[in-house]
Amino acid sequence: MLQVKNIEKYYGSKNNVTKALDRVSFDVAKGEFIAIMGASGSGKTTLLNCISTIDTVSAGDILLDGESIAKLPAGELARFRRERLGFVFQDFNLLDTLTIEENIGLALSLNHVDPRDVRRRVKAAAQKLGIEDILEKFPYQVSGGQKQRAACARAMVAGQSLLLADEPTGALDSKSSKNLLEILSRMNEDMSATILMVTHDAYSASYAGRILFLKDGRIFNELLRGERSRSDFYHEILDVLALLGGDISDVI
Amino acid sequence: MTLFKLSLRNAKRQARDYLVYFVTIVLTVAMIYAFNGLVFSEELLSLALMMKSLPLMVTLTSIAVVCIMGWLVHYITGFMLSRRSREFGTYILIGLENRQVARLFFLENLAVGCCALVFGILLGNLLYQVLRALVLALFRVPYHFGFTFSVRAVALTLFYFLFIYLLAQMKSRRRIRSMKIYDLIYFERQNEEAIFRTSGTRRNIFIVSVVLGVSGTILLMAGSLLTGLIGAGCIIAFMYGFFGSFSSGVPAWFAKRPACKYKGVTLLIFRTLSAKLATMGIVMATVSLLFTAVLISQGSGLVFSDLFRNRAIQTTVFDLCIGFDDSDTTDLPLLLKPYLDYIDANVPLAASRQYAVYSSEGSAVTDYILESGISYYNYYKKDTVMKYSDYAALREMLGYPQVPLESGRYLIHSALYLQDVLSRYELPVALGGDTLIPGGIHTEYFNQYWDINGMGFILVVPDEAAGNCSIHHSLYVAMTAEPLTQTQFAALKAIRDDDSRPKYDTLLSKTNEAAQAAASTAILVFPLYYLALVLAMTAATVLTIQQFSESVRYRRQFALLRKLGMDSRDMARALRCQFAIYYAMPALPPILIAVPFILNLGAATEPGILVGSSHPVMISLVTLGLFFLIYAVYILMSYVGIKRNVLSASV
Repeated sequence: MLQVKNIEKYYGSKNNVTKALDRVSFDVAKGEFIAIMGASGSGKTTLLNCISTIDTVSAGDILLDGESIAKLPAGELARFRRERLGFVFQDFNLLDTLTIEENIGLALSLNHVDPRDVRRRVKAAAQKLGIEDILEKFPYQVSGGQKQRAACARAMVAGQSLLLADEPTGALDSKSSKNLLEILSRMNEDMSATILMVTHDAYSASYAGRILFLKDGRIFNELLRGERSRSDFYHEILDVLALLGGDISDVI
Repeated sequence: MTLFKLSLRNAKRQARDYLVYFVTIVLTVAMIYAFNGLVFSEELLSLALMMKSLPLMVTLTSIAVVCIMGWLVHYITGFMLSRRSREFGTYILIGLENRQVARLFFLENLAVGCCALVFGILLGNLLYQVLRALVLALFRVPYHFGFTFSVRAVALTLFYFLFIYLLAQMKSRRRIRSMKIYDLIYFERQNEEAIFRTSGTRRNIFIVSVVLGVSGTILLMAGSLLTGLIGAGCIIAFMYGFFGSFSSGVPAWFAKRPACKYKGVTLLIFRTLSAKLATMGIVMATVSLLFTAVLISQGSGLVFSDLFRNRAIQTTVFDLCIGFDDSDTTDLPLLLKPYLDYIDANVPLAASRQYAVYSSEGSAVTDYILESGISYYNYYKKDTVMKYSDYAALREMLGYPQVPLESGRYLIHSALYLQDVLSRYELPVALGGDTLIPGGIHTEYFNQYWDINGMGFILVVPDEAAGNCSIHHSLYVAMTAEPLTQTQFAALKAIRDDDSRPKYDTLLSKTNEAAQAAASTAILVFPLYYLALVLAMTAATVLTIQQFSESVRYRRQFALLRKLGMDSRDMARALRCQFAIYYAMPALPPILIAVPFILNLGAATEPGILVGSSHPVMISLVTLGLFFLIYAVYILMSYVGIKRNVLSASV
């Protein structure tokens, strides 16, 4: 579904170039739940930004369903993002002036969905994520976990094919984190949502089916969960992180 | 870094962030200074006797202006305090004392204030020259640039300024000194609470406030001081009730209509605005009240200035006009003699004429006007008549083109406002056995405002036809070689007021009327404009500063929307709509209140005086035009700033 081909990303001027991504290549199949891990500054967020078309690559190509993102004209990018991509951010990024229902409905509204249909679709999405009773509330009136579930609902309500999550559990307590990760897994398993999650938390990553480890802008290692239990997979991730030389604080 | 350096750096930043506020303060100081200049200008105050009242009127207005500017400074200082409280909290956290932080804030505000004062006084000097030129032009006195620096004007401006600034600063200083770190760090979370919570209360308040608004507007126009004051009270209650209930009522309206809500960019616009309105309902109401005052003072100013100017023009077109009441022609030479003696000796004439205005036998034309329903003050029992030879001579004196009169016909010379009615008058006029048929209508200015050449109209008939009529009054009119001076007019007035004279004559001069109008305009209209301008700038500044303060939140919002795939065209459209509604909201109620008020004020003047470009409808349009011109400057400044900040940053 998603093909990342040899992408490179440089920052800076002629004399002072920082290589944020260095010949990164990987494929994501439809319905896959993939996590990208790495220490701070390893290029995780840059990679996610390039895939989400918020940033451009310096070299290489990114294909989504066979269509090259890098070659899309600027006007098409906005349409591409709202139709194909769903976002979940660390700090939720819900608009505080809109109710939860309106925040979710916004994705439909931007996609020019028939206004009469919006409420029904929002309700259906909210029901799947267990937030139907907070729809009338404003973001400041609900908990972090509920906010993040609302963000998930917004990311899938318009039928987006790829969900991009940037540290989705970063601002949540452990109970809410677990709850959210289970929801993401369920979305992946029950609704065959394709999820690409960036995280530096081994526990979060253990919910994914595959993990890519980034170090200094390059793919350093790849782990497949296969038939292993989540707890075994978690320990294996910790081993790789130790190899990566990641700080212990990154692991926990 | 010393506290002083930190203050200076913050002051610089403050001037940049609050540029609109700074500019408004500079302009207000400039205006206060320029009007203070008028108060102390011997040159201008000696232009007419009436001008002696100018200092009182200007000072009263300045006091109102100082109160308004005081409110603005107080509001913006409080606003800055809330926006920067986290920063102040940090200062205290790293060890500064409350006292020091208060001093820091005081010093930087004082620095900005002093800059505004200096710029304001410099600009005020230029503005004073403009005002001086305007006043001199009103009095038709040639303007020569003469740089004047009035120490007394500076001192008075400084006094006003210190009063405003120190009061506002002391208040915020006290506030900071008594604040705890926690309060400072979390101060910005405090906001205006939604005023009315439950939907039932909201609906009731909304209905009551609209009723109050309508009745207040009607009372304001009733004409007496008491009803005016009650009306103003109702309007104040309406504004606060309306903005308090309206902003919280909109979400309820949309909640019932989801299909409307999710259409296009409506959701974003309505939520952003209702959030803004809910948190600043009181400010919006205050701004709206200020705008109402702007429109009313500006509109009244225009009504008065046109009234004074048109009255002067319509009162007399002759440089000199002396009227003798129902006198016998035989008495006229005797009555006229003292005037003519003075004129021959002192006033070079270009042309002069003595003539009579006659009473016709009936009042058919007057009755016709009264029956038409047009507003008309009836003065004569009979229609007034003038000989064609006199008419032709007067037209020549005034430089009007000659008009022929065929025998057996009569002409009507009327004021402009009667033209429509009288041009439809087609009946013959019978004079001493002659029957005359209509021969046309003319409407140049012709001393028809008072009862000189007829009240509003006069019939011009062949000389022989007028010969059969009785004389109503006699007149002497003259065009002078040079405009009549005030001294000459005073001398003629002394002759008129001589107790030994049998009757009181009418004495009019063009220069005197113009001077009276000029003095009335300077005394009444200038202060009204002054007030309107300051009020408009203050209110627009508050709105703009509020809008700018949201730019960080807007930037975040649009950055997110961009990530979610919103078109840049849609984003620009949403921003434009938000702007349009945000700025239109507080301007709409004032328009609905002020336009009827101006129309009513214009209609209350005597008939025929506010016509053509001075028609109350035109005055209302000009008032709105001028208001939106000033408003547009602020809207544009804020739109350009926000658009650059918000949309480009989110790309």
